[in-house]
This record gives sequence, structure tokens and C-alpha cells, in this order.
Amino acid sequence: MSTPANAEPTTTYEQAREELADVVRRLEAGGLTLEDSLSLWERGEELATLCQHWLDRARERLAAAAPGDQPE
Amino acid sequence: MARKIADWIGRLGEVWVEGQVAQLSRRGGAATVFLTLRDPAADLSVPVTCHRDVAERPGLELTEGARVIVRARPDYYVARGSFSLRATEIRAVGLGELLARIERIRRLLAAEGLFDAARKRPLPFAPAVVGVITGRDSAAERDVLVTARRRWPAVRFAMHNCAVQGPQAAANVMEGLRRLDADPAVEVIVIARGGGSVEDLLPFSDEGLVRAIAATRTPVVTAVGHETDTTLVDHVADVRAATPTDAAHRVVPEIGEQRRLVDGLRSRARQVLTGRLEQQERWLESMRTRPVLASPDRLLHGREEDVLSLRTRARRTLVHRVEGAERDLEHARARVAALSPAATLDRGYAVVQKADGSLVRDPSAVADGELLRVRVAGGRLPVRVDRSANGEDERRESTGG
Repeated sequence: MSTPANAEPTTTYEQAREELADVVRRLEAGGLTLEDSLSLWERGEELATLCQHWLDRARERLAAAAPGDQPE
Repeated sequence: MARKIADWIGRLGEVWVEGQVAQLSRRGGAATVFLTLRDPAADLSVPVTCHRDVAERPGLELTEGARVIVRARPDYYVARGSFSLRATEIRAVGLGELLARIERIRRLLAAEGLFDAARKRPLPFAPAVVGVITGRDSAAERDVLVTARRRWPAVRFAMHNCAVQGPQAAANVMEGLRRLDADPAVEVIVIARGGGSVEDLLPFSDEGLVRAIAATRTPVVTAVGHETDTTLVDHVADVRAATPTDAAHRVVPEIGEQRRLVDGLRSRARQVLTGRLEQQERWLESMRTRPVLASPDRLLHGREEDVLSLRTRARRTLVHRVEGAERDLEHARARVAALSPAATLDRGYAVVQKADGSLVRDPSAVADGELLRVRVAGGRLPVRVDRSANGEDERRESTGG
């Protein structure tokens, strides 16, 4: 699902968020092999970055929309 | 042929005709008075002749513009081939009469549904061009224009100035209505007139004008007379404004107010966005601070500790085992040491064995001259039994083994 860094990720924010929530749930449930927990943790980080990406983009677009009266 | 016409018209009989005196001519002492009677609604007029007495009946002020009811007989003046009405009675139409007439027209038009609310059309929100029918340079005109421009500077006007009083008024307004209604650019038409007497406002209850308004494509706003006056145009108009200024308020929005409205909506939309964004950022933050994500090393910790504890336990058991083994060894060695004759031999004892290796424990078990092996601390030596000399076997009471 993840795409090369420069291209716009195809995963939508909602998809990333859903999966991140699931990753955290499974990590917290425990009972995983070392390997599984590690790869799951890496996936979690990747998803968090993706969510952050979308939220930052949203902020940029909002600011760009009306830079003039950006509420302080 | 003219005679036939005259006869035929002669047979028409008497009729009551109502109208407005357009022209009036009394030539000196002539017995006959000539006038023209106009019907403003139908834009028709007809010549009327009557005897001087009829025209100058006491109480009747026959002047131009007066509304009158004429009882007359159609007449065809053969000599000139002209048609006219021969009036035998002329009565002025009084105020009460006027109001009654208006009421009759109102009921008639109401019955036709011309005043139904369903016919009222909504006004355009911000018309680019507003048609205005009003007296030239009248107060009403100024009120409408000034107010409208202040509220909505972008507005443009299509003016139709005309006489808004007197016999021509209704026709003028209808003319203006036709012209402005035909212009596609005009999105709304305002008919404005200041206050006036019932007679002054009469044209605005003219049946023809009311029907014309009902028939227009463009919505019509009327602002005729004072708030208290009601003319029939007010009933048929799409919107009845109390005053010309009010009419301006009705047809154009107030720009400042609209700008505030738009700005308000824009900031509310923005708030929804920022609110949602902040909420999502808080959620992401909460996810990130969860221990499983924030400190993955904790995972490793756990396992390292497990490994560590396992290792120490393993080591501990190992040590125990080794120690145990050593102890066993010790015991074994001790026992061996205890059991092994070496120490006894060291203490000077000797071990006697028969040839076959069996140990000699009882003198009786050995025959005289038998060859034995004796082991002492330092080694072994062969010996022979010699009971010849004075040696005597000595038996010892056996003690438990």
C-alpha cells in the first residue's frame, strides 16, 4: 500500500488511520513473535508518518485557501 | 347609405357612458357644447355633444380631467358623416362613487384571481437592472434611486419617467410597463409615486393598468401613495412596498450586510475545517504516545529480561548440578578412601589372601604349609603357614561385619 516517497501516497488518510488503530490494538494485545511485533511496529511508524503527511497537506491547503484572514 | 346608417344608429337607444373629459369647448353663446370623453383604460375617446343647459347644470363642474357619467344616445351626423353621442344628462363622478367604482373593479379582478397570492412571483436577489416607472425628477424617483444605489452600488436602472397623474397617467404607466417588461435585462420593475388624493391616485386603480401588471413577465413592486393609501395596483403587484424607499429596500440587498453574511459563512466553514483538523491531530498524537509505538524498545526490554532471567536460571541450575556432582564425588572418594585398605595397611595391618585371591578371615580356613599372599602397605609377599613351632591359632569372637 505504501508508495515511493515522492509520489502522492495512494492510501487515503482514513485508510491509514484505520490501519494504524488496528496495529496499535494488536501490538497492545501482545502474544506476538518478536519478528511480528517488530514488523508491526515498523508498519505503525509508517502509517503514523502517512497520517501526518495528510494532516500537514490539509493544513497547507487551508492556509493557502485564504492566507489573508488566517485566524491567529 | 348614410341615411341608412343614421337610421340604424338611431335605433340603438340610450346608453350610460363613463369617462374622463379630455377636451371641452364652449363656443361663446352657442347652444351646443362639444367635448371629448376618454376612457383611459381602453385608450378610446368619443366626441360628445350636448345642449348648453346639460353642460352647465348647477352643481356639475364640468372641467377637463373631470370623471363623468354621461347618459347619451348614439348619433350619426349625416352631413359630415361623423359619429357622436348626444348627451341628455351629465353627472360628475363623486368620491364615494369613485371608491365604489374601485371596489367594484377590485371585486371583479379578485374574482378572476388576479390578486391571488399564488400569482405573486419572488423578487430576484440582486437584480442587475431595475426598471423604474415614476414621475420625472419626483421625490419618489430620488428615494428609489438614492436608496437602491446606497444599498447595492452595482445596480443599474432602466428609467421610464411619465406623468403619474391625470387622464394619461394610467396609459403612460402601461406604456412604461410594456417597454420595461419587454427588455430582458430588466429583472424587476418598480412603480413609484408619492402621496395624493383619491383622484390623484385613481389611475393606479385603473382596470387596464392592473391587468397589464398582472400580465407582465417581470416581477412588479408598487410604491404608490402613502402607506395608508391602497390602490388596486398594490393588490396585483408581486410586492407592495410602503414607500419608494421601502421599494428600494425590497429590490436590492444591502451590500454591507451581504458581505458580513458571506464572511460569517466563510469563517464558520473554516472553523469546521480547523476543528476537524485539530481533532485528528490530537488523535494521531495520542496514537503516537502509546507505549507500543512510542517506546518499541520496551518490547525488546521485555524479551531481553526474559532471556536474561532464563540464562541466570539456567546457570544457576547448572552450578547446582556441578556442585552436587562434586559433592557426590567427594562422598564417593571418601567412601572409597574409607573402604580402601590402603589406610589400614598404612596403620600396619596386612591383608592375607589365599592363592585364589580370597581373603583369609579365619585361621581355620588355612591349611598348614599353605602358601598365602600377604599385602602390607609397602607391597606384597608370599608366606607359608607353619603351625609346627609353638604358634597357636587364636580365634576371635566374630563381631558384626
